[in-house]
Amino acid sequence: MTFKRLVYAVCIVVLLFGVWGVYNRLAHGHQDANYGSYVVWGLWVAMYLFFAGVAAGCFMLATLDLLFRVEIFKGTGRLALWVGLVSLGAGLFQIWLDLGHLDRIWKVYLQGNPQSVMAQMVWGYTLFGLLMIAALVLATRQPDSKALRVLMIVGLPLSLFVSGAVGALLGVQASRPFWHVGLFPVQFPVFSLASGVAAMMAVIGLFGSEEDPNRPKQLWVLAIATVVLAVVKLYFLWADYSQSLYGNVPHNVAAVREVLFGRWWWSFWIVQLLLGTIVPVVVLLTPKWRHNPAVVGWMGVLVLIGFAAARSNIVFPALTVPELEALTRAFSDRRLTFEYAPSLMEWAVTLGSTAAAVLAVLIGAKLLHLMPKKEMA
Amino acid sequence: MPDMLEPKDALVRMHEDMKRALAKAPRERRWVMVIDLRKCVGCHACTIACVAENKLPPGVVYRPVLEEEIGTYPHVTRRFLPRPCMQCENPPCTPVCPVHATYTNEEGVVVMDYDQCIGCRYCITACPYAARTFDFGETYTAGLPGGFPFLVGQAVADAFERTSPFEYGERRERVGEQSPIGNVRKCHFCLHRLAEGMLPACVTTCIGRATYFGDANDPDSLVSELIALPNVMLLKEELGTKPRVYYLV
Repeated sequence: MTFKRLVYAVCIVVLLFGVWGVYNRLAHGHQDANYGSYVVWGLWVAMYLFFAGVAAGCFMLATLDLLFRVEIFKGTGRLALWVGLVSLGAGLFQIWLDLGHLDRIWKVYLQGNPQSVMAQMVWGYTLFGLLMIAALVLATRQPDSKALRVLMIVGLPLSLFVSGAVGALLGVQASRPFWHVGLFPVQFPVFSLASGVAAMMAVIGLFGSEEDPNRPKQLWVLAIATVVLAVVKLYFLWADYSQSLYGNVPHNVAAVREVLFGRWWWSFWIVQLLLGTIVPVVVLLTPKWRHNPAVVGWMGVLVLIGFAAARSNIVFPALTVPELEALTRAFSDRRLTFEYAPSLMEWAVTLGSTAAAVLAVLIGAKLLHLMPKKEMA
Repeated sequence: MPDMLEPKDALVRMHEDMKRALAKAPRERRWVMVIDLRKCVGCHACTIACVAENKLPPGVVYRPVLEEEIGTYPHVTRRFLPRPCMQCENPPCTPVCPVHATYTNEEGVVVMDYDQCIGCRYCITACPYAARTFDFGETYTAGLPGGFPFLVGQAVADAFERTSPFEYGERRERVGEQSPIGNVRKCHFCLHRLAEGMLPACVTTCIGRATYFGDANDPDSLVSELIALPNVMLLKEELGTKPRVYYLV
């Protein structure tokens, strides 16, 4: 109980910081943001990719209960849907603030370009969000209805499509060899599943009910899944970077070197690999720790932080490599630089959105009675 | 050298070429730009002319001049590469736009619809030439001290910065969050000048007569002659973008 109160307190303080960030963004536009015309996408885009991935992954997990009726996950479907919905909201909020004209978002729906992967993704995520809301309502009111099963059947490929679309958003860009990877739309659904698993591990491990007899088994399955997906993730990473380096396309090599040895090397080696992958794998495979729900929950948090760093390590490096080398010195302006570090306002919005998401998960779970407490008949 | 073969001044001839081009239907024209890198002295006059013509704010630049120092002492030289929008025939920036805010107009120029652009900047990431920039709503005078009353202060300069350029023949004061603030901006071959029979600002300003402009569909035009030379090259041709800006090297 004390831990929960501490989480509430920290989240409220961070949320206030976030409110200042949002006010700054709305009052002064993009003037206090550090992205420019060369590193054109910053922290908010990276975090959109992250939160959208968590949302898709949570939906995939919800199908274990609401579609496939896996016994040990009984009762977790609604919780997974709620975590996914909240995560989607946090992602969409940040990407909305990233737009130059917030009031024109309706144009994507009514005057959208079907050829654009971005438009397809916006339509897909909107449909996906509505579907999650409908599924949550049905799962609450008519958990055994046929309509719910239909929604989950439709939603499963849709979750694969939307998470794949995020990969395609970057992958279709031939002018950025670091992003132009044919396997991106395949990798991203796997990343989404892994981040959804981590999110559920964190929520159930840290805030789940001790009365729920399925909780240890759920955490055990999620932990195993995390380890397996970490291995797959490492393989993707190795395949991606080794091929880029062997291929020796200068722009691509420069981007990979930026990730591995650039200004933010620690984000890759320490946050993404060590804290986000290796530590959780070691801990989750150690018998004395893997049965401790709190430890498993914290490993979920670490995996999520690792994924957030991984999304940043995909978005920024490709943009910090000049398309034409001499551009770095061609015109002097703070918006025309290939250096990027998020500004205080950008951090405020991202941390505030994250705090709001954590609060929404906790409050929603309590009000909607989403945490399974005892064995269901 | 084309100028030696051509008795008329290049600007005079390009104006004559332009008159013929403007007499045709827009879709029958194919505007191209040719930049002779051997003649470019790196004065950046084209960059500044473009900034002045289009009243570009801080961080927005349509035609930077890229400079490189090559060779090893004592055999050292500098080379310059002006880089406007390539106005690609196969532009990677237009299909990615989620709202059709950027497209190729009937004269073959890639344009922006400022009222349609939502400012997502996806097109910027798609351009292999970094030819697009975002208007963050900044001004050169913001934050400067106003000075004494008898000096020309911030207010006067700020008002000047906010007056409208005539991009796309439209009047747009830079006020609040109104477009083009919050939009992606790019070189448009000075379409508003072309409509009045004038060459793009960068062409008329070039002190070395290094930049040429005209209708490549007119076999008698100067640019048609130039792009048929063997020393013509295209930037990042391997990407298949088919630029309409040619370089003579």
